[in-house]
Amino acid sequence: MNLIDRYVIEVGKHLPLLKGREDIEKELRSTLEDMLEDRASTTGRLRDEAMEIELLKEYGSPQKIAATYNPRPYLIGPRLFPFFLMVLKIVITVVVTVLLILTGIRAVTDTPFMGMDFVNIIGRGLGGIVSTAITVFGNIVLIFAILERVLPDAQIDAMKTDETWDPASLAKEPDPDSVKRGELITEIVFTFVGIALLNLFPEILGMSYFTQDKMFFIPMFSAEFFKFMPWINAIFLAQIVLDIYLLRNALWTPITRVAKILIEAASIALTVIILRTPNIIGFTAESFKNLPESSVNGESLMKIFNLSFSISMAIVIIVAGIELAKAVYGLFKTSYRKK
Amino acid sequence: MANSESLDNVVLELRRGVIVLAVLSQLSDEQYGYSLLKLLSDQGLEVDQGTLYPLLRRLETQGLLESVWKLEEARPRRYYIISAEGKKLLPKLKKEWAGIVSVMDIMLAKQERRK
Repeated sequence: MNLIDRYVIEVGKHLPLLKGREDIEKELRSTLEDMLEDRASTTGRLRDEAMEIELLKEYGSPQKIAATYNPRPYLIGPRLFPFFLMVLKIVITVVVTVLLILTGIRAVTDTPFMGMDFVNIIGRGLGGIVSTAITVFGNIVLIFAILERVLPDAQIDAMKTDETWDPASLAKEPDPDSVKRGELITEIVFTFVGIALLNLFPEILGMSYFTQDKMFFIPMFSAEFFKFMPWINAIFLAQIVLDIYLLRNALWTPITRVAKILIEAASIALTVIILRTPNIIGFTAESFKNLPESSVNGESLMKIFNLSFSISMAIVIIVAGIELAKAVYGLFKTSYRKK
Repeated sequence: MANSESLDNVVLELRRGVIVLAVLSQLSDEQYGYSLLKLLSDQGLEVDQGTLYPLLRRLETQGLLESVWKLEEARPRRYYIISAEGKKLLPKLKKEWAGIVSVMDIMLAKQERRK
């Protein structure tokens, strides 16, 4: 194996995983051989290793050469970037606002307005917000990096509203079958954040309690809840797969609408089952027993959390119900229009 | 230093825009990568290999070029030639180029006279 062979193999190692890799290597080898031959005939020297080294040095490092073949030398390309910024702003604003409100509520309900506990809760709350915001940012980047690679170019181009936008569209009825990309991407991001939170950071979901020298943590959900995780994950994943498929195809079809109906029906069913399962919340009389008596009124806190859990679940059911109704309506409307 | 860097960047940008036209114009007869590189260089357009080869592949993916492997002198070479679609595009590109050149000539001549 001569230097040229080794060089070509080295370039191959750094080539992006795309079709025609072997072709690129073959062409590179043929070019280098041509160049060597040319160099030998013009200089009158014999081809030797010194000449190969000279040539390869001029040609450039294997990494550099391999990089020139990378069609996407970036994580999120210029075409998706404005969309990425838009989603990032929306999601970060929503997440930070919700967490700020939660921290505020916690600080007010858990402690009197002064003292170290109050400062502690605010400090930890803000710290939590920063780390959650960073996690959310990472998730959004990851999703867009994947979208950049799975969406066909035509789809990405179609997202450039300024170029495809036609003032006449203001007067036109929107096509009821066209998907709303912003909604889909936002949904993907939130579903992804949900998966990440529930699977990777369940410890964020709960209540921290500080007394003078100790910290107590009561998780929001009990082990009973986490038994449902495979089902929750399956629904979340189905949702993401459907959303990406819709993004690629840009149009609702009867099949995707039925898939949407099934997913929403499954999430409603699951939410109802979870609601009806006893001891699903971690905040129980048991968990409050460990806390110092004086620092907390367990009974009333339990009531508050039970109530807010029921309310959140009810919201989930209502939202899923609306989505389900929209999909059913769309399904009938499409079949009606076709008749 | 900064000036020469920005000059280099602008020159690079200018040349980058021209290379597609240059390549399409030279591939009415089939050429392999290195022979095309030399053909361009002999006519005064130096193109970096790292630019030319990926560009050839991109133009082929876009359907503007066709390629075929041939075995010559015991060495396989990939020959490129302009496709039917490329042939349709080339006159339009030439016209665009002529337009740009004449507009810029007039603009720069006026600016010269104002000096």
